[in-house]
Amino acid sequence: MSRTILSVRGVSKSFGDVHALKDVSIDLHRGDVVGLVGGNGAGKTTLLRLLCGLYQPTEGEVVHLDKSGIEHPVAEVRSNLGVVPESTGLYARLTAWENIRYHSRLNGISDKQAWNRTFRIARELDIEDDLQRPTRGFSRGMRQKTALIRALSHDPELLLLDEPTGGLDVTSARKVRALVRKLGEEGRTVIYSTHKLNEAEEVCDRIIIIHNGTLRADGTPAELMGATDAPTLEEAFVRLTQDASREVETPEPASKFQQFWSRLTTRVRKPPGNGGENDA
Amino acid sequence: MREGMARIWTVASKELVDFVRDWRTLVALVLVPLLIFPLFFIALPLFMQGEMSELDQYYLDLEVQLADGDELPDALSQPFADHRLNQTVTTLDPNLSNLSDTGDDAVRIQNGEIHVILRLRSSQSNSTESWDYAILYDATQELSSEARSRVFNVIEAWEDDIINATLAESNLTREEALDPIHWDGDFGEANVATSAQIAGFALSMFIPMIVAIWTASSAIQPSVDLTAGERERGTMEALLCTPARRVELLYGKWLAVATVAAGSVLFQMLGLLIAVSFLLPADTFGVPELSVGAIASLLLSVVLFAVFVVAIELALAVRAHSVKEAGTVLGPVVLAFIVPAMFAQFVNLEGIEWWWFVAPVFNVCLAMREALLDITDLTHVALWLGSSLFYAIVAVTWAAKQFQREDLVESIS
Repeated sequence: MSRTILSVRGVSKSFGDVHALKDVSIDLHRGDVVGLVGGNGAGKTTLLRLLCGLYQPTEGEVVHLDKSGIEHPVAEVRSNLGVVPESTGLYARLTAWENIRYHSRLNGISDKQAWNRTFRIARELDIEDDLQRPTRGFSRGMRQKTALIRALSHDPELLLLDEPTGGLDVTSARKVRALVRKLGEEGRTVIYSTHKLNEAEEVCDRIIIIHNGTLRADGTPAELMGATDAPTLEEAFVRLTQDASREVETPEPASKFQQFWSRLTTRVRKPPGNGGENDA
Repeated sequence: MREGMARIWTVASKELVDFVRDWRTLVALVLVPLLIFPLFFIALPLFMQGEMSELDQYYLDLEVQLADGDELPDALSQPFADHRLNQTVTTLDPNLSNLSDTGDDAVRIQNGEIHVILRLRSSQSNSTESWDYAILYDATQELSSEARSRVFNVIEAWEDDIINATLAESNLTREEALDPIHWDGDFGEANVATSAQIAGFALSMFIPMIVAIWTASSAIQPSVDLTAGERERGTMEALLCTPARRVELLYGKWLAVATVAAGSVLFQMLGLLIAVSFLLPADTFGVPELSVGAIASLLLSVVLFAVFVVAIELALAVRAHSVKEAGTVLGPVVLAFIVPAMFAQFVNLEGIEWWWFVAPVFNVCLAMREALLDITDLTHVALWLGSSLFYAIVAVTWAAKQFQREDLVESIS
């Protein structure tokens, strides 16, 4: 087995009363292309944010292991990470290239290096003619492609992709999937968050199923189908995720004043990355 | 360290490019500050002048009501015609309690039947001529007010003529009678202050307030846009995934907002100077002569104040759950800067108590006033410098703490 580059050890994450993730442990190895699969609100985005150090675990730890096996907190090795968040996060008044260059500069990459790499990937994704256009008028697919190039422009070892084919047409989605497979063959580790099981089966050699904040399965598609005695991966997924919603602490009964105050200041509380929108 | 500085500069320069490409920001932070004072002090008076000369062209209806037996003086008849007043002469109602008693005439004026009524009644005195009068008009109607103003001017000129004639009978000129103690020479020459010092004094009443108010208000929109706005648009998450430390992102964003706010303040001061130089002659209002120390003091106070204000606004904007909430929070917060800045203009610098120079906002405004007046008091300098530095550090530390929040990625609410 190739060396471990990221280790998630007994990680739990709570937002107030809501347990977004509970006791999740995963090891990621060099060259793995891992599908992170789960329904809306399963906890995929929360896990991805823990993996790139945006959230701190309530319990457990996430560590990056370098070539010598020395452990580092993820926040210290972000230059090794390439992230495509679900929202893509592009600046509308900047061109696609300026968006990419901004991130590559923050990653300490020279503009020339970044441009060469950007142009090569842009050509693979058929977007090279749009690099000098402001992203304001971009379609969802073009935004996804730009965000993907931005994540790759500094040649990271680990890629975290949140719904990378969301909004893409069939041809573009196919190109992205081909690129992801190629990245895995080059020895990069990719975490590919999706709720499309057929896509995960096509792209990934290992699938992690998250449901209601808990890790339900971790293995190859064949292993998951074998373990559940299911004829298809979809059936295996359904069998692994048939249970009630996540655990929520029962709050203390509110006092009359609290009830009155709550009526005055009612807000819909929802844990970040866990409330459906981001996992949709 | 060098990498950190490079990242701060990368963030700041990207944000500045983003600002420059937004025409709304350019209008709000460049065009408006540059034009606001010229608009108030040059365009508005010119416009009012134009409107007034438009009113001058109208022929207005005047009714002169004379007491029984009186005749319209010749000294009035021609000037009324010269002032485009169509005059009709009628007899005064003898039952009026006094000449200002509007009686039935109020309705006629309000209906627009007549623009103005002049009531005249000759009276007895030792003067060559003596009259009682009242002008009836409607202050809410432009033409009636204009007619009243023309009648009043004619009456004043007539009164001057009567005074001069009465004085002439006693062999006196107007100056001898009314101005027995008079100034000799040029009034302005007697002021020992140079035009540069006068400029420094005048600007010391404006500049600190403009700096305080405009720094606070112009930093709101960029502060909200670069924090709550980025979070709402989803760009913050991608940015936080880069190797840039959060404190570096804060400093980069702070630098961009402070640059924009400082630029905006400079544009507003430029507009003020253009307006003032247009209104006042160059020999009365020169360029303030400031020592190197005063200039350094002025710049330092502005910089420290900007650090303080922008850090507070960024921190508050980060804490807000949305752009809308950030705007709602920061609007009233600006008052916390504006009110002390306004009061600071009226604090007497002579014998000023030391604690004014450690009070937030007051300290910087007073420091700027002293700098513009070229006053160097080392105790004051030490106090405002120390306290401003302290407030700036506290504000930046607080802002840096807010930037470590998990909900910087996405609002919990």
